[in-house]
Amino acid sequence: MQNIVSVNQVSKNYVLGSVVVPALRGVSLEVAEGEFLAIAGPSGSGKTTLLNLIGCVDTPSGGTVQIAGQPINALSERQLTKLRLHTIGFIFQSFNLVSVLSVFQNVELPLLLQRSAGAKERRSRVEQLLDRVGIREYARHRPSELSGGQRQRVAIARALVTRPQLVLADEPTANLDSLTGTNILDLMKELNQSEKTTFIFSTHDARVWAYAGAVVRLADGKLVDRVSAEEAVRVGGVGGLPGGARTGSA
Amino acid sequence: MRGYFDTLKLIVLMALRNLFASWLKTLIVGGIILFGAALVVVGTALVDSINGSMSRSVIGSVAGHIQVYNAQSRDELAVMGSFQLEGADLEQIDDFKKLRETLLALPNVRAVVPMGISGATVSAGNTVDVMLEKLRDLVRRQQRGEEVKAAIESQKDHVREIVAVLGADLANARKVMTDKAIAAEDQAAVERASAPNFWQEFDRDPLGTLEFLENRIAPIATDADMLFLRYVGTDLAAFARSFDRMKIVDGTTVPPGKRGFLFAKWTYEEQVKLKTAHRLDQIHDNILKRGKKIATDLDLQHMVKLNATEVKEIMLQLDSQQKDVFRAKLQRELGSQEHDVATLLADFFRVDDSNIMRRYRFFYDELAPSLTLYRVRVGDTLTIKGFTKSGYVQSVSLPVYGTFAFEGLEDAQLAGALNLMDLVSFRELYGFSTPEREKEIAALKVTAGFRDIDRDKVESELFGGGSDSAPAGSARVDARAEGARAGEDGKDIKDVLGALAGARRQVRAEQSYDPAELEQGVVLNAAVLVKDPRSIARTMRDIEAAGQRVGLPLKAIDWQKASGLIGQFVTMIRAVLYVSVLIIFAVALVIINNALVMATLERMAEIGTLRAVGAQRRFLLGMLVVETLTVGALFGGAGALLGIAIVALMRRVGLPASNDTLYFLFSGPRLRPGLSALNVAVALLIVLVVSAISSIYPGLLAMRVNPRQAMQADE
Repeated sequence: MQNIVSVNQVSKNYVLGSVVVPALRGVSLEVAEGEFLAIAGPSGSGKTTLLNLIGCVDTPSGGTVQIAGQPINALSERQLTKLRLHTIGFIFQSFNLVSVLSVFQNVELPLLLQRSAGAKERRSRVEQLLDRVGIREYARHRPSELSGGQRQRVAIARALVTRPQLVLADEPTANLDSLTGTNILDLMKELNQSEKTTFIFSTHDARVWAYAGAVVRLADGKLVDRVSAEEAVRVGGVGGLPGGARTGSA
Repeated sequence: MRGYFDTLKLIVLMALRNLFASWLKTLIVGGIILFGAALVVVGTALVDSINGSMSRSVIGSVAGHIQVYNAQSRDELAVMGSFQLEGADLEQIDDFKKLRETLLALPNVRAVVPMGISGATVSAGNTVDVMLEKLRDLVRRQQRGEEVKAAIESQKDHVREIVAVLGADLANARKVMTDKAIAAEDQAAVERASAPNFWQEFDRDPLGTLEFLENRIAPIATDADMLFLRYVGTDLAAFARSFDRMKIVDGTTVPPGKRGFLFAKWTYEEQVKLKTAHRLDQIHDNILKRGKKIATDLDLQHMVKLNATEVKEIMLQLDSQQKDVFRAKLQRELGSQEHDVATLLADFFRVDDSNIMRRYRFFYDELAPSLTLYRVRVGDTLTIKGFTKSGYVQSVSLPVYGTFAFEGLEDAQLAGALNLMDLVSFRELYGFSTPEREKEIAALKVTAGFRDIDRDKVESELFGGGSDSAPAGSARVDARAEGARAGEDGKDIKDVLGALAGARRQVRAEQSYDPAELEQGVVLNAAVLVKDPRSIARTMRDIEAAGQRVGLPLKAIDWQKASGLIGQFVTMIRAVLYVSVLIIFAVALVIINNALVMATLERMAEIGTLRAVGAQRRFLLGMLVVETLTVGALFGGAGALLGIAIVALMRRVGLPASNDTLYFLFSGPRLRPGLSALNVAVALLIVLVVSAISSIYPGLLAMRVNPRQAMQADE
């Protein structure tokens, strides 16, 4: 299988005043198409920074990142945006739906930005996805009228509507109760299998590792190891920290 | 393409929903835009309408579309709104015929009217003078053997009444002034004229007594006897043809080839009419036409007060018989037992809102027929004293043929302050040579033994030095010295001679002139009427160029400039309007900008999400611009509609001209403003430009939002 993501010796430093804070230090990672990969680690371990680099919303200070075969350092801001639009779908911890648009319009938005599909095609694609995530009857509702789980389903539909090769989810269950979180993960897993879409999600919740095909563990900006889900569940925490610590994302 | 349209639809939808979501902010921003747009529509419509009506007033009354004068003049020409009695210091244009032919050859010139503007004081004689003149006339007729004894007795009686009024006046003055402030000779004169033997003396020596009355008594009656008149000397027939709003109100126009004077009706009412009657007219008209009330209007209250205190003008006109009649009528009207007619008149004129209409009618029906309402009447001869260009007093006597007004501008001071006279008389007053004057001067030179001398020989010629010419009279010496000082070519000596001859000259009132003189002589300026008023600027350039070609240094100014201060009025209002609009929209710009910046900051997460899911920066800029343009279009449109409604209402009701100046600016009693598509277009354009500009900074801010911010945000 081809690699959709290729991260090679990547470092990322943030400059806070006169202090340089290293967020990632020489991380290398390959993700094959169709994987369902979890990035695990405690707060400040560099999970979100790694996800940002893979999501083309940030560029590395050192090393290279290739997404679908394209080295992101070489791309302009415009090209990066285009790459995000056509190749990557995003699911956010806080759902990040556009509050003034209906559920249907939120899901349709990336298709409109792509400007490739006609109205009919868009409608059928959106309806199909809303069906798939189980919220078709809420198509005309505004996000504020939905529960957290329902909102995250809308976000998942939005992330998948353009048929991206890669979906990135940053702590997708952090704002949900455990039952809803489980449902969301079930849905993501299901879509991963049926649509063959690669999923990478960050989490510090040890309970959700079980859903992943593999778990990449980070600590202090370094990649600790890449293990199977079972292994990860068995070992528990990372870097001496107990698993399941429900702290905020890095 | 459809994709673009659908995206735009989404952007508009998001914009509208965002606006609705923050409705209070939208209402505040929109309210300012609405007000601004309405102000632009109403303001520009009003200014344009005033400009239009004022141009009709200015062009239609005296200025014409363009005024032309000698480019070498020291002053600028202002045909209206000048406060100087004399006109501007303009160099003359020697040959009007040449000017006229040159200008009429231009394609856009329809008519050229010759003009000269100046001013003069005119002695109209006070009431006592008029009465004494009547008496003198009767005495002359008696001496010729006519039977006028009864008339003389009546007139004598009237003069006796006048002396009694003056005596009472002096007695009143003594109550409030020290004896020193009252001239002893006035006191003595009144005492002498009041004595019974004075009138016995009159029967013995009427002319001698009359001279005493004219020299000593008449000057004490200080009712206004001087008129200050500004006038245009012009070809009256051409004037009437070119300014078709001109209409004759009383009398007739001056017949072609005749000398004559036409009063502007406004000046005639203001200056020539009995003051009390004129004030009564004004009170009546202000109440009737402008809806004012004496109880609330200070000007009207002041007029009532003046009328009640200044009854002397009427008293001087009444002989004892008329006094009896007035007393009876006023006692009946007022239900009063008062005996003193002056007190009755004062009571009568102390009008209020409840009795003004009745008293106005009573005055004109019962009292006015016995009074001389106008000091100068149509048919009278007016002696006009003016200053020639070189400063000498010159006078002409002209018959008053009538009064005129401009249709729709009857109450406007600016259109009614200029009187008309024939151009030939104007030239004479202004000191220009005419063929008949040249002849007269030549004859005078011969009879007085004048000859031109060199400037350096003046002293020897005047004070000896072996000259064989006999010394002439003192007047001649003065004149010659003045002439020698003033000019070298002997031209100004003509002014001096003209001034001297003025005293001896027979009244020319009845004299005619050759109409060809109008064409050939000198003018100061000329009004040009054009065929197409839209190309005034081009025609002005053509006129100056044509002047250069034929050796006439011409300056052309448009009606706005020619109308002086009043022409700048609209420019001033326009400036005020533009400054207000500028301020309002500057405020709007700042507020919209701030509101959008706040909105952008509040929506950082949403904007970051949009960027993360693939929205390009220009999508975000577009979103903000569409948002402000939507507010601009919605509220700007509503403001424009409101403006249109206000203008339509104003048009239906009509804005009343509450004073003389507004009457002129509105070209009538009410302004009914019109609206053009341009007024609305300008308002919408300003709103949209301001909206677009105010979204630039927030747009830039939104474009700088990093998609990472979506990852960090909480909902």
